[in-house]
Amino acid sequence: MFWGGSFLNRASPILGRRRFVAGLISSAALSNQLLPAKAADAVTFGLNPLFLDSDIQLLSLIQKFLEAQLGRPVQLVKRRTYQEITAMLLSGQLDAAWICDDPYVQHQDQLTLLAVPLYRREPLYQTYVIVGEDLKANSFDDIKGTVHAFSDPDSTSGYLVTRYLLALKHTTPAEFFREFFFTYGHRNVVRAVASGLAGSGSVDGYVWDVMNEREPDLVKKTRVIYRSEPLGFPPIVGLQSPRDPNLARSLAAAFIGMPSDPVGRQILTLLELDGFTSATPDLYHATKEKWLVVKAQV
Amino acid sequence: MLQIARIRSWPLAWKVPVLVAGLMVGIAALISQVVLSRLESNQENSLRQLTDAYLDGLSAAVLQPATRADVWETFDALDRARSHYSGVVARSVVVALPDDTILAASDPTRFPVRSKVPADLAQHIPSTDGLFIDNSGGRAWLARTLRVEGYSVGRILAEIDIADLLRVRREVLWTLIRVNGALTIAFAAIGYLALKRMLQPLSVLTSYVEQVREGRAEPIPEGNRRRIAAEFRQLFDRFNAMAKALSERETLASQLAAQEKYAVLGKLASGMAHEVNNPLGGLFNALETLRRHGADPAVRESTLNLLQRGLTHIRNVVRSTLVSYRHETAPNGAGAADIDDLRLLIEPEVARKGIVLDWLNEVRGRLPVAVGSVRQATLNLLINACAATPAGGVVRLRAREEKGSLIVEVGDEGPGLPTVLTNYLVAATEELAPAGDGLGLWIVRRLVAVEDGSISVERAQTGGTIIRVMWPFKVARSYQIDRDTRAEGEIAHVG
Repeated sequence: MFWGGSFLNRASPILGRRRFVAGLISSAALSNQLLPAKAADAVTFGLNPLFLDSDIQLLSLIQKFLEAQLGRPVQLVKRRTYQEITAMLLSGQLDAAWICDDPYVQHQDQLTLLAVPLYRREPLYQTYVIVGEDLKANSFDDIKGTVHAFSDPDSTSGYLVTRYLLALKHTTPAEFFREFFFTYGHRNVVRAVASGLAGSGSVDGYVWDVMNEREPDLVKKTRVIYRSEPLGFPPIVGLQSPRDPNLARSLAAAFIGMPSDPVGRQILTLLELDGFTSATPDLYHATKEKWLVVKAQV
Repeated sequence: MLQIARIRSWPLAWKVPVLVAGLMVGIAALISQVVLSRLESNQENSLRQLTDAYLDGLSAAVLQPATRADVWETFDALDRARSHYSGVVARSVVVALPDDTILAASDPTRFPVRSKVPADLAQHIPSTDGLFIDNSGGRAWLARTLRVEGYSVGRILAEIDIADLLRVRREVLWTLIRVNGALTIAFAAIGYLALKRMLQPLSVLTSYVEQVREGRAEPIPEGNRRRIAAEFRQLFDRFNAMAKALSERETLASQLAAQEKYAVLGKLASGMAHEVNNPLGGLFNALETLRRHGADPAVRESTLNLLQRGLTHIRNVVRSTLVSYRHETAPNGAGAADIDDLRLLIEPEVARKGIVLDWLNEVRGRLPVAVGSVRQATLNLLINACAATPAGGVVRLRAREEKGSLIVEVGDEGPGLPTVLTNYLVAATEELAPAGDGLGLWIVRRLVAVEDGSISVERAQTGGTIIRVMWPFKVARSYQIDRDTRAEGEIAHVG
């Protein structure tokens, strides 16, 4: 989903060469350098690798918002892959995290839902399969033999749904596609397909829609040929047995009350979300079904 | 060859500017070649340094993704590099794996993932790393092997647009052409004006030399000698000295001619006095005979006849002189009688020297030539022939019409005309007669030249000289002889 989508990670036009090279070598290391050292009572909040250079404003606002709401220092933690954040959360290195729905359903027995974003007033989103504007394809079957761009192996929209569709056909990406690769970002999937590097791609529908408004020149080089059914939006989760249960409740309340706070509204505006809501695990039933099908094939 | 000869005949005021322009073009071409060569070398060095830096950055960015064969990370690095190296305009960059398949390229539609490196790219890039420049195509190719611990994990192949560099070269070339062209034209113009100014005295000299050719030898005035080079001042001095000498010679010749005129007049008067005096004694005797024996009819008749013959002779002498020296006022042409009249004038001299006159005049009717020129030139030649022929010798005259001309030949039996006088007579120059000639030949030559005639001289088989004069018929012009020429003829006809 959008965590793997990182539609805000547009490269800054003012990046210098040195910064560019360093960023290419280790974007994760750079991200860590930007974070302050953890204070003794700081809250650690994990975010999937969407926040790169140009997302600093968003990071800053989230940190400012959470610190104000919780009355404690907050340290935002980012990693390149979904897997890394999930592992840190499960191992107790993070107090909470905003993760994709796929890792949530994989570890549903250990995680609890704190809040779910509202997109177009619903806690739902879709998976899109897109192709290059010139590719003669109108259905999922038409993309057979193309080079395919996935987002992340732990992304629902960026991998799981497509993988599920292939499993229903009793095939695998290696068999169905001529070549496939992971871009570790939904925006990167759009870039890969728009540039022709990939003929098709699996992308978060929410990210594609927002990009279509903000970067129409790039997005118009792609075309959606498949839309999944609505799925539960990537949630903010914590451990079922947290060290500090009050913190989990405070975090949930903070996110759900975000629209009533000026900084919170700025965050929602940047993310083009309506707000956050509480939810039950049933919201992710469809996602879990898909994961189980794929898991069974593997 | 004709072109070279034509160029050689150009005036100096043209040749020098053209030479300057030619040299400037040569120098400009040489300088342009050096500048462009140096510029090309500098540009190549700069391009090499720039592309080295470009490849250093790109290699660092794609090395790890290439090691993992990570398509997206490799492409992302190439895509970001596009906007970060403004000094290098990469048309396309390809990262190829060791098996020559494409891992990723900046232009994936042209170089699809996992396809073979196209032949049109491979042919421009040798197996070695480096920069390969194609100036004619405005492109360059780069190759850099990606190595990890000494092992190749792939290669970066790039096609670089160097049109900007070539545009700079073209601009420099056009600037050189414009500047050098302007300098060449300026130098040629300055050279032309300077040389024209420097050669100005030569134009002055030429005009005065031209005056000499027309018979007026005047010195160059002092006003024309200001602000001229020392060489030309010396030349003017020499010319003025020559003009002065010519002027003096003209004066001398005029004085000589005047003296000749008086001498001729004296001889003429003497001859006429002799011709008139000879019969006078007989006439006086006849008068005396009439006074004494006039009563006798036979004696009277005989004496009157004698008187008549004597007076007739005197009348003939006077009439011939008048005919020879009358002013020619009408272009009536020359007839046989005009030539035969000369016989009366020459006969006293012929008789005095005991010379035989061989006279054959075949002219019929009137011919369209200047009668004055014919009569005076022929008389001069006859007088000279009589002078040259010893006693008992023969002086010949032949006159005839031939091919639109009147031909008159005068032959003598003298020792022959000296070569220097022969050359002078047949030459068409205006120089004065050589010393020792008097003015007879000079007059002949002037009279014939004015009528566009010609003179030839040959040795006679019997010894002596034959001088042949040809007067071409003049149909459409007047035979009026200018006053000066006629005056000279009057002076010299018996010279």
